[in-house]
Amino acid sequence: MAIIEAVALRKVFRSRERQPGIGGAIAALFTRSYVDKVAVDDISFSLERGELVGYIGPNGAGKSTTIKMLTGILVPTSGVLRVAGIVPHTHRMANAANIGVVFGQRSQLYWDLPLRESFELLRAIYDVPRDRYLQNMKHFAEILDLDRFLSTPVRQLSLGERMRGDFAAAMLHDPKIVYLDEPTIGLDVIAKEAIREFIGTVNRERGTTVILTTHDLADVERLSRRIILIDDGTVIYDGSLERLRDEYGTHRTLVVSLAEPYPDFEVAGTEIVSREANLVRLRFNRREITAEALIRRVTEHYHITDVSIIEPDIESIVRTIYLEGYHDGSDGAPS
Amino acid sequence: MAREATYRFDVFTSIASVLVRVYLLRMVWLALYARNAAPSDLPLHAIITYSTVALLMGLVMDIDQTRALHDKLHDGSIATDFMKPISVPLYFFADGTGEVLFHAALIVPSLLFALLIVHIDVPSLPVMGVFLVSFFLGYLVGFFINFLLNCIAFWTLEIQAMQLIVTWVTDLFGGEIIPLVIFPVFLQRIAFLLPFASMFSTPLLIYVGVIKPERYLQVLGVQLLWVTVLAVIASFVWRAGAKRIVVQGG
Amino acid sequence: MMSVYRQYWRINILTTLEYRENFLIWLGFTLVYHGSAIAALWIVLTRFPSMNGWTFRDMAFLYGLWMLAHALHNTLFSTVGDIPDHIRDGEFDRLLVRPLDTLFQAIATPGQVFPDELILGLITFAAATWYSHVQVDALFIVFIPLIVIGGALIDLAFNLVISTVAFWFVRVDALRWIVIQLEQEFTRYPVSIYSQGVRLLLTFVVPFAFMNYFPASFFLHKAHEASALPPAVGLLTPAIGIIAVAAAYLFWRLGLNRYSGVGH
Repeated sequence: MAIIEAVALRKVFRSRERQPGIGGAIAALFTRSYVDKVAVDDISFSLERGELVGYIGPNGAGKSTTIKMLTGILVPTSGVLRVAGIVPHTHRMANAANIGVVFGQRSQLYWDLPLRESFELLRAIYDVPRDRYLQNMKHFAEILDLDRFLSTPVRQLSLGERMRGDFAAAMLHDPKIVYLDEPTIGLDVIAKEAIREFIGTVNRERGTTVILTTHDLADVERLSRRIILIDDGTVIYDGSLERLRDEYGTHRTLVVSLAEPYPDFEVAGTEIVSREANLVRLRFNRREITAEALIRRVTEHYHITDVSIIEPDIESIVRTIYLEGYHDGSDGAPS
Repeated sequence: MAREATYRFDVFTSIASVLVRVYLLRMVWLALYARNAAPSDLPLHAIITYSTVALLMGLVMDIDQTRALHDKLHDGSIATDFMKPISVPLYFFADGTGEVLFHAALIVPSLLFALLIVHIDVPSLPVMGVFLVSFFLGYLVGFFINFLLNCIAFWTLEIQAMQLIVTWVTDLFGGEIIPLVIFPVFLQRIAFLLPFASMFSTPLLIYVGVIKPERYLQVLGVQLLWVTVLAVIASFVWRAGAKRIVVQGG
Repeated sequence: MMSVYRQYWRINILTTLEYRENFLIWLGFTLVYHGSAIAALWIVLTRFPSMNGWTFRDMAFLYGLWMLAHALHNTLFSTVGDIPDHIRDGEFDRLLVRPLDTLFQAIATPGQVFPDELILGLITFAAATWYSHVQVDALFIVFIPLIVIGGALIDLAFNLVISTVAFWFVRVDALRWIVIQLEQEFTRYPVSIYSQGVRLLLTFVVPFAFMNYFPASFFLHKAHEASALPPAVGLLTPAIGIIAVAAAYLFWRLGLNRYSGVGH
């Protein structure tokens, strides 16, 4: 049975429509006109225990709204949601006991005191049995190298040290599911690697289900096998990284700067993905034509000033999808 | 001044504060005068006038005009000010003046609302004139005291508590809420020796007529004396503090 | 929950010790604040010995009772006043993601807690009790602690209501400020000096009169000019406190529902 089950989730934010100025403020007293903003519009997915999923989307796509519904902060407008068998918003506390959350930009540690004190308080909050607590502490101290700064006040820790502390704090009570929101933001390369290592280990060894929200797609590439892409409140892709790479891996993008504004610019065997003034993006299937041949084909008929090729790494694949929408045909036809 | 205008709730709380206190003090004096012998020179209507006018004055007087000085010392930006070819103290004076003028403008609506709650006496025009002069001198005394307090920040940054302590002492011994002439005699003597009395008590006692015209020159002179003394102390402190900054680099 | 509360206090004490230099500053602050209030009362009542039948001795007891209840609230519940900030900066979500009641967590948020006001409150109250010659009998000994707790609960109720308003209007400073003014300045004097409307307000709507005036009237055997209520009403303060907090808690749940987007 899936550990997380989301069916047709929908979240609408309703706010009072307000006209600017004093006239508007007075009018607002008499009328009741609302503006509905659909943050999440029919999102469905299911996660098995022990999966590590990247939950990706541009800003405003509805990522944090989804996470807030999963963690019990927000009540869905409609739809079904079950996390470890519990409906988050009706049994907030029971759900909370099963989950751990790391907000990359905000720490849950207590600023003024040594790190160890924060762990003590969390132990009490999550009611972790003493021996389990000590076991976990020992284990995390090893992997995350915490012993060095367990006695240091949190305000004196570097960002990397603090993040490691936050991770240990989130895992202290052996949560079944962990939500990671921008876990590597602001970290240097070494610290990022350490955190990624930790996430991978915890997922592998403890079977903790992980939902990873991040803008750093290298995190996703390194850790997850499955990726859910959302945009405008809906899921536009839910599947493995492999498949995404295959589909888009065959396609590359040639970016051409035209010397003149050719209105009828067209190149056989390619698809014009976008055109901004004299900058054109051409999508082509590298199995059908090589980049070199394509460039020759272009320059035969047009004068160009610059050219570059975009490789299909995850980052650019996702970027392409954001820009163009998701094409699931291997011939590049839009779906 | 535009900065202040956006603080709508600041306006609201300032005026609301004055009105709430106007009401409160009116009821307090009413109750006190009901069962006790009244002071001969300060009948009920006079003392209510005193308190109300004091609260209106407070709108302007209770502002931390030179707060910018403390803020800049706190974040170190004072150093750049010293590099500018301007008189730094004058800059702070001008900076605080905007806020003060804004609050002075609040006196009008506050007064109008207050008149719904109490009745206040209005002195004759010449007396009003002298009152305004005295008010201005009292304002200057307050300004320098405030400035000196903020100057302490040259040496130690934790001045919040000190400021509050001085505020309460000022309120009490300045005669803001309780006319100094009501104080027990020995306290009165102390109070009149302090500069705080020049801030509220002197102008207010002129307003309600407790200080008669024959004493005007004398009391205004005392105020002027305090202004001068404090200005001199301020310039010494300022120079010492500025030297410290320049030498230590902030 | 109890173990969490114990841990919370442990961290409070540790944090306070960490910042112990601040203690003297806060102590001075508290001393001057309350000291100047009492000094002002003394000055006025020396010149005007009776305020609606209340002498300075009576007023000292009135002030001491309020001060102690208020100090108790500040020591135990002041963190409730920080809730609007948490809502604004997103910290509040963190409370929702933990397996404990959110209000409990908001109360049990560790920080610096200086005992100066409480200690000063106890001393002042003790001194005022002695000075006012109030009768310290069994009734007094049994009820006063309950009344002080009740008073602290009334304070908590209003603190909570104001913080709850932040779910709708993020900036509640102005509102909080006005309520505090009402409390601190109007409880200083016997409620009987105010006009009918204000007396009713302070009795039935914003029951600050129950924090000190009614209990003090009862124990000092003052004639009840403030209302037609019998003197023993002063003993009801603990009940009023509980009712006030219960009502505030209901409002709090309404606010939580709004925050979670219940209903849309």
